[in-house]
Amino acid sequence: MAAIASQEGSRRGPADGPRAGSAGTLRSEFTKIRSVRSTYWTLFLLVVAGIAWSVAYCAGEVSHWSTTPAQQRLGFDPTQASIVGLALLGQLVIVVLGTLAITSEYSTGMIRTSLTVMPRRGVLYGAKAAVFTAAALIVALLTSFASFFIGQALLTSTHVSATLSQPNVWRAVIGAALYVALCGLFAFGLGAILRSTAGAMTAAYGLLFLVPQLAKALPSGWYADLDRWLPGGDVVNAITGTQNVNANANLFSAWGEFAVFGTYTAIVLIAGLVLLLRRDA
Amino acid sequence: MIEARGLTKRYASVAAVDDLSFRIRPGIVTGFLGPNGAGKTTTMRLILGLDHPTAGTVTINGRAHPRLPRPMHEVGALLDARAVHGGRSARNHLLCLAQTNGIPRRRVDEVLGVVGLAGVAAKRSKGFSLGMSQRLGIAAALLGDPQILMFDEPVNGLDPEGILWIRTLMRGLAAEGRTVFVSSHLMSEMEHTADHVVVIGRGRLIADCAMAEFIARSSGQAVLVRTPEPDALARAVTAAGARVAGAGDGDPRGLEVSGLTEERIGDIAFAHGIRLHHMAPSRASLEQAFMELTADSVEYHAGPAASRQPSHVGMEN
Repeated sequence: MAAIASQEGSRRGPADGPRAGSAGTLRSEFTKIRSVRSTYWTLFLLVVAGIAWSVAYCAGEVSHWSTTPAQQRLGFDPTQASIVGLALLGQLVIVVLGTLAITSEYSTGMIRTSLTVMPRRGVLYGAKAAVFTAAALIVALLTSFASFFIGQALLTSTHVSATLSQPNVWRAVIGAALYVALCGLFAFGLGAILRSTAGAMTAAYGLLFLVPQLAKALPSGWYADLDRWLPGGDVVNAITGTQNVNANANLFSAWGEFAVFGTYTAIVLIAGLVLLLRRDA
Repeated sequence: MIEARGLTKRYASVAAVDDLSFRIRPGIVTGFLGPNGAGKTTTMRLILGLDHPTAGTVTINGRAHPRLPRPMHEVGALLDARAVHGGRSARNHLLCLAQTNGIPRRRVDEVLGVVGLAGVAAKRSKGFSLGMSQRLGIAAALLGDPQILMFDEPVNGLDPEGILWIRTLMRGLAAEGRTVFVSSHLMSEMEHTADHVVVIGRGRLIADCAMAEFIARSSGQAVLVRTPEPDALARAVTAAGARVAGAGDGDPRGLEVSGLTEERIGDIAFAHGIRLHHMAPSRASLEQAFMELTADSVEYHAGPAASRQPSHVGMEN
């Protein structure tokens, strides 16, 4: 039975080692996210959805550009055409990954093991959210820039293609990726609150898609006042648009809409943390 | 050392754990016994800080579990072998646990070897049999080389080889001076593994004593006797003040005589000219002792009866 005790040097005793904390937990969460297939599938889908939309949309514009009326050409936003797909489709995909990042711990029972080895629950929660955000943001940013450049390359023949140096373009390209990451975090927080994959995904889709649609049934005056406060919906247009002529007068600026949705995300994340700290695991 | 003081956990109006106090000492295997639903798992979850107690405290080496600086080095636990992400390989599962406590990667391969899973380290654990999952859970518990180990129903559903392996492992861990705390509802299992028992029923402490003492106190000693003349022997020993159970000509188990020593029974048989074919002490089984002790709590569970004080057998301290 001597083999059970670890060999010299492969372990440090309780007294002389560093306290188990954030650094190790971040490494642990990175191992978790990179060692399950669902991560690769969802991120792959995110990349494909973003780029495929850009190709389809921009190539489509080029094919009927010669017959597009001048008025419509003025309203065409080449930046938005290439990246809006990442935001629109990407939010659908990232909600799955954001939810699973936390609810898979509950559905498998892994949460009990995780909390036994890292009982400081806030550290575990923070590390998990940080690793997910980093993974989602990096992949979304790469996809956003790739979608942008591929789209603009396709649009060259229209002579309206955008460059990063034009007004609002940087903001839109980075904003599309930030929006996707934020949607993922929103779903992550809902996952922490509801502890169920199906429940959290339903709640996330309901709040991001259904609520903005239902709001349209309100009297138009009310809707105009409410629109800027809604998560999802028109926010995508505000964030990915670069041309003021298209701006929706009901909404705040792009960063204003970010602040609104960011606040909702923060509320959901904090609620998830408080519940994790207080509830029995 | 695990120490519980007045530990209580209530769900709505039901007390799953009710004012439990005990100490689990190093160097021995302590069995944690009770019928299903007695509160064993809840107690273990309270020890690990997974559940918050309604009242009372429980400490590991003097500290509440969430305050342990490096938890994996102080306590290793196997609560539910299936509580792993099945999509992750055995090695990655152990690695993500090890990293939280700064345990190096080579220790992961070391424990995989100890539990005999080195050959399937790269396989996803969803394909594992229950026995393999159990070994993976034990590997996780051993990662930090902790002084305290807790296992919740570790032999449930295992084949005889797996049971023997776990039994040997637990005895080995205790022999190294570690604290081994293992729960079971199978009394016969603990009889061969545990040195000490903590028995609970309906969340309350029923007994906390050495295994031998538990058996001895719970049920009287009896002697098993086989004879071709059971009726005559039964009359003779009953006349001498013994109680007789079993019996009948065709009963191959013979008579179970309690209240007399083997010597007295032999002398009485000789005096009456009764032939004996077999005579041996029949140690009361742990199963019986357990049933007797927890009868109240199980009964109480089935329907509201008068609340009875649990009978403490050989309380420590």
